[in-house]
Amino acid sequence: MYAAQLIVLGLITGAVLSLIGVGFTIVIGVGKIANFAQGAFVGLGMYMGYWANVHLGWSPYLTVLPGLVLFGICGWIVAELFESRGRNSGAIGELLVGLALLLLITGLLSVSFGENAVTLPAASYGAVSVANLHIPVSELIAAGFTFSVAAGIYLFMRWSRWGRALRAVAENPRAAGLYGIRVPIARRVAVLVSIVLAGVTGIMISPFSVLTPEVGTTFLLTAFAVVIIGGIANTVGAVAAGLAIGLADSFAAGYLSSVWTTLAPLILILLFLLIRPVKVQI
Amino acid sequence: MTPRTMSSMGVSLAGVGVLLVAGWFLLGLFNAAAISVLILALFFAVGGSSFSFLYSSLGVFSLAQPVFLAVGGYTAIYLATRYGISPWISLLIAPVIATVVALPIALAIVRAGTGPILGALVTLVIAEAVPPLLIAVQPLGGAVGLYAQVKQNPTLWQMQFVSGLPFARILLVLNVMIIAFVIWWRRSRFGHFDTAIKDAPYAASAIGIPTARMRVATFLISAMIAAPAGVIYAQYNLLTSADLFLGSTVLFQIVVVALAGGTARPWGPLVGSLAVVYLSQEASDLANGRSGIGPLTFAAIFAVMAFVMPTGISGTWEKLLHWTAIRRGFRRGSPAEQDDSPPTPESAGSSRKMPA
Repeated sequence: MYAAQLIVLGLITGAVLSLIGVGFTIVIGVGKIANFAQGAFVGLGMYMGYWANVHLGWSPYLTVLPGLVLFGICGWIVAELFESRGRNSGAIGELLVGLALLLLITGLLSVSFGENAVTLPAASYGAVSVANLHIPVSELIAAGFTFSVAAGIYLFMRWSRWGRALRAVAENPRAAGLYGIRVPIARRVAVLVSIVLAGVTGIMISPFSVLTPEVGTTFLLTAFAVVIIGGIANTVGAVAAGLAIGLADSFAAGYLSSVWTTLAPLILILLFLLIRPVKVQI
Repeated sequence: MTPRTMSSMGVSLAGVGVLLVAGWFLLGLFNAAAISVLILALFFAVGGSSFSFLYSSLGVFSLAQPVFLAVGGYTAIYLATRYGISPWISLLIAPVIATVVALPIALAIVRAGTGPILGALVTLVIAEAVPPLLIAVQPLGGAVGLYAQVKQNPTLWQMQFVSGLPFARILLVLNVMIIAFVIWWRRSRFGHFDTAIKDAPYAASAIGIPTARMRVATFLISAMIAAPAGVIYAQYNLLTSADLFLGSTVLFQIVVVALAGGTARPWGPLVGSLAVVYLSQEASDLANGRSGIGPLTFAAIFAVMAFVMPTGISGTWEKLLHWTAIRRGFRRGSPAEQDDSPPTPESAGSSRKMPA
């Protein structure tokens, strides 16, 4: 029964991680940009849910719609920054923009909310018991949301004209450009989508997460693990990798010491890099 | 090396010697508070030099350099408390241990590919994996770390001093040695191999340069460069811990000092570190030590680097020199000063000798 509980919790964690990874894999695959602030936007979303709950008394879920608009605007501005730096300074310029954003968001969260860890005070949405398994409702909502969004992105990438254009840019930007696809627009869309996904995921997981300003780096590493294990620009691979990492994380926490919870995804990344190196030059 | 290269290197090394002598005496003029800031700056300058050496040689953007600083710190305190080994001996042992630690990381990077972004992500993974590992290993003091045994009558051999000045001078010597080494490396055969690998890896491999071996060796040297600074910094603080060497601020501060100083010249990280540490201290004082000011300062510096000065202080200095040289050349080549320009009556009278 204990193992079954761990599996369920692992799958829920994995679902959340997979959505963060889906955004990161799109931005690396299509834009060839490693947005170092990807995890920081998850943190920003978490604190947005926290702020709405503490100061306005709203449920964090009510901030999803304003969050979509806010992160959409943020995403477009960040995409413009990446494009302008990419043109002028190449990959290093983009890397510096990502690092600056990561530190900016971390610093602003520290200044606004302090460095101590916080949780949502009225975040209990109850729990359901299925076959003697105890599952918190907020985690079920987050898992349901992430699975449906991931499925939507898969269908969009697979069947829509825009999705096919994004995949073409990920595969061969020069050839895609020759076929009339606007590569810079595709890169901007990839950055925008990844930031919106990160922010909204942050809002959805805020009711059951421990919030610290530095949480962005942890999510960045998890997103990177998902990309390395699932493959670049591979939505299905990202979901599978997210679930695998979630399960590894859950079992490490359940059967091993707490240190292995942090180390499990990092060890998986290094093993995958040694066994199956990344073929894309980024 | 050609005679011209050797002569140019001689001038550079003489400049490094002047820096050492001037720095040694200048450090004696500062008060204790300023010395503690300078120690921080000189410590980060070594970390920045280690990053800069790797980045300028191979284009590898390594965020794992604090790990090698930590190796130095843990080596010094562990050997001193457990076996009574002097930190001066640890200055020699730490680079060897750093090499051993760096080898699998170097292999992972070489195997992962050569792109700066992937390199940055892989090394970030390593930098984040080390603190929980250090905390899990009880002989290394867990989360608290290891404390040095404070001596009643500190001696030079134990590297414990009543003031911070000797530590500042030791770190200055270390910085100067690293700058001299980088000057030599860049002009040596190995430095040229690295340049070839960075600029055209397939061509370098085709002409017989052992690219994988050179990449690994350069990474190991960058680790060796960093480790001794960890020894000195741990002795200065009389403790070593994961938080001291591997906190997120340290991780990004090393990159900030290296990029702010620029990788164009070997002295870039030293200048960058002095500027960044001073700015950080001022910002922290202005905000009364409020949390989050450190990351915001670094974010502002990164933004300046990304948008205004992508080549850093030394890169901008180099551009300035280049621009001045072009202007001078333009002036020399301008019609008024050319030899074949029509002579004025004055110049004709003064420079031309009438035949006898």
